[in-house]
Amino acid sequence: MDRRTFLKVIGAASAASGATALLAACNANPATPSGTDAAVTPGGTLFIFTDNTTNLFDPAKSQGLAITSLALVHRRLTSWKIEAGKPATVIPDLATDTGRASEDGKTWTFTLKDNLQFSDGTPITSAEVKYGVERSFAPAFSGGLGYHKTLLAGASAYKGPFDGADLASIETPDAKTIVFHLERPYGDWTWIASTPAFSPVPKGKGTEPDYGEHPVASGPYQVATYAKGVQVKLTRNPHWDKATDQARAGLPDNVVFQLGQQTSVTSQRLIADSGDDKFGFSASFAAPSQIVQIQNNPTAKPRLVTSSSGALAYLALNTKRGPLSDVKVRQAFQYAVDKAAFQIASAGSAELAGSIATTLITDGIAGREVFDLYPAPPGGDVAKAKQLLAEAGHPNGLDNLDFLVDTANDGTAKAEAIQAALERVGIHSTLRPLDDDAWTSAATGDEGAYDLTLSSWQPDFPSANGNIQPLFGTSEIGNGGYNISRYSNPEVDQLIVQAQGTIDPVAAGKVWAQADRRILQDSPVIPLIYTRNSFLHGSKVAQFVIGAFPSYPNYLQIGLTK
Amino acid sequence: MVIVLLVISFATFAVFYLLPTDPARMSCGKPCTPENLALARGFMGFDKSWVLQYFDFLGGIFAGRTFGTGPAAITCDVPCFGYSFLQNTSVTDLISSRLPVTFSLAIGAAVIWLVAGVGAGVLSALKRGSLIDRLTMTVTLAGVSAPAYLVGLLGILLFGFTFNMIPVSGYVAFADSPVDWAWHLIMPWLVLAFISAAIYARLTRAQMLDVLSEDYIRTARAIGLRERRVIGKHALRNVLLPVVTVFALDLGQLLGGAVITERVFALPGLGGLMIDAVHMVDLPLLVGISLFSAFLVVFANFLVDLFYGAVDPRARLT
Repeated sequence: MDRRTFLKVIGAASAASGATALLAACNANPATPSGTDAAVTPGGTLFIFTDNTTNLFDPAKSQGLAITSLALVHRRLTSWKIEAGKPATVIPDLATDTGRASEDGKTWTFTLKDNLQFSDGTPITSAEVKYGVERSFAPAFSGGLGYHKTLLAGASAYKGPFDGADLASIETPDAKTIVFHLERPYGDWTWIASTPAFSPVPKGKGTEPDYGEHPVASGPYQVATYAKGVQVKLTRNPHWDKATDQARAGLPDNVVFQLGQQTSVTSQRLIADSGDDKFGFSASFAAPSQIVQIQNNPTAKPRLVTSSSGALAYLALNTKRGPLSDVKVRQAFQYAVDKAAFQIASAGSAELAGSIATTLITDGIAGREVFDLYPAPPGGDVAKAKQLLAEAGHPNGLDNLDFLVDTANDGTAKAEAIQAALERVGIHSTLRPLDDDAWTSAATGDEGAYDLTLSSWQPDFPSANGNIQPLFGTSEIGNGGYNISRYSNPEVDQLIVQAQGTIDPVAAGKVWAQADRRILQDSPVIPLIYTRNSFLHGSKVAQFVIGAFPSYPNYLQIGLTK
Repeated sequence: MVIVLLVISFATFAVFYLLPTDPARMSCGKPCTPENLALARGFMGFDKSWVLQYFDFLGGIFAGRTFGTGPAAITCDVPCFGYSFLQNTSVTDLISSRLPVTFSLAIGAAVIWLVAGVGAGVLSALKRGSLIDRLTMTVTLAGVSAPAYLVGLLGILLFGFTFNMIPVSGYVAFADSPVDWAWHLIMPWLVLAFISAAIYARLTRAQMLDVLSEDYIRTARAIGLRERRVIGKHALRNVLLPVVTVFALDLGQLLGGAVITERVFALPGLGGLMIDAVHMVDLPLLVGISLFSAFLVVFANFLVDLFYGAVDPRARLT
């Protein structure tokens, strides 16, 4: 995801709840152990510090992950099970199972659990889930994750329920059954059903633009007070039944989001670990300079939790431009880059930056196969790169490549590291720094007037689909799409359609792994590293677990110690 | 004043709306399909040319606006200075909800820096060349050159963490608890005052030295007026004219938001709002805040003009 998306995810993401004994055992996070050994007890108030000034709980407008703030208040049809060191798996949430596909993969049926209730005591039925999905189509409530909008049959012309129209491709034959009819076979629908729009909204509610400040809750918490720009307080939802929910532990009694907190000040507060700050954590990740300070502080160090993996950082080569349209030239880049230098430029050390990447599918995604088509030392293989360039007819290297740089998050330093590495093999580039927004326009626009650029990507849901399709599908070139290497290969497009249409996740995973290899043979991007995120929490916060995917803590299982 | 504001509003609008960014993209969702984008644009009114949008904007100030139709339509009441689709609130409401914070911050800081700055300046001028003078000028030099970010963080580290004397961040409304209000603001006040007082001390000192060498001061002394009266009435009154001019402009600017100080101390004021607007490419909000800040500066200027007339008979028109 790009930086702005990240901000949104974090914004729409933060909160906590308790854990089962099973997850408590997972404190053995491979990168860093977390929390204290004291027993986690239900109750208390968890504090979440975020640098965002808004944290709305409107499911239609949210791009939040299934394990962060929005999920404390809203349940969806399905959810994610997160365990340290293991791939994320899909689990039932409001539904009794993770969905049943028809033979052709175009119809998905979910059955709701018994006795589900909203925070106002009214029952949650299939009609409320349908209404929630329909509501996300209204232009007034757009902005959230909308994968379903391109998949549901006849949805392209649908503009929401507020003018009285309903979406015929969602059927509710009875109060507990909901059936989705899709345009084409889609195996990952079970994951799509875990995105925010699949949260129930009582029919007729949610017409006001600030619904996200006082939504009707289905999760363990409801929004008690929303003080704009200052804080949000969640209290227990009396109608939430723990017995029906295997995704949320719901341990703390209250969750308080403190908004607009400067990250460096938050770090100092958490290092000092006094008063209420003991019961808090930072939703923003710690910057490298802060991490150094934290690691030198013996009381703070054990409270820093680093993800084992994360987003794929990569160098994109614009395959439509001049010499870069030659696959041999692009392969030379695989050997020319210096991934070790990139690690240093990213976070000061390989340990903090993240491990070296060789595949497109990231760690923690089921079905991932580890391979390296272009084996080279971390610093690159200059001789091999030169040889490939010579074979391609460029013995003297390349001149005047236009290197687009997003200046956010130290982008310039990272680009300089790549630029210097490319110089070693005679590839000369000129950096063109742009601010985040201008970069997005240039990189995802229709024109594509650049040669190289750096980016990073983390899927929105734990399927290889999310790694591959948005970055390499022909349909994602320009028009706001993230295929910024403008790579188009009918063979790959065919593999994408085939994998998306495969219902069995194991079989689909094999096709995705095949696509991963096939794409890298064409070398449209150079995988650099799998970036790590580090989070700091207070001494009374426990069960603070980051799974292999996503590289954010699972808010739903966090508990407090006395 | 109205014409100035109209020109400013037009210029702000033109600058922001001619940027190569699409404000609808932020509300388009992910994945952002061309159909969704067109839908979002139409709903937000960004599908028209920017000149037409400008007239919609002006119209909204006097007549209010409505976005969309049906039960989910969004209404923006008079005076509507635009609607932030990312914060789901009208720009007018956003500004008025943030204003008390910035107002508290600015007024408190201004009082401190004016008293401290002018006091230090007068003192230095009277004891010209003495140790006090040199000391004051050295400290003020540090104030002029130090960035707010650094001073703020150092202040938090020293008084918040090391001595644990003050709360490190947050804001409590005056109506909730005046004591907590002041307690949370004391550090930001001091930081802002430290940075700004320096300029006032230097300005006052220079003016004072100038004035003290004027003939009428010598005359005043010669006719046997007490020194206190010479300085307090005759000299200071003339010294204050330029100081007040600068002060009004500074205060007007500060009321538009002390961006860095607010950020460091997690104060939900106008400065923070503006930073958010920039980050999220929230164009309606950006235009609204820019216009409001411009209004404050113009208004402060207006007040200074009135003040001149009152204090200095030479500046009166009639």
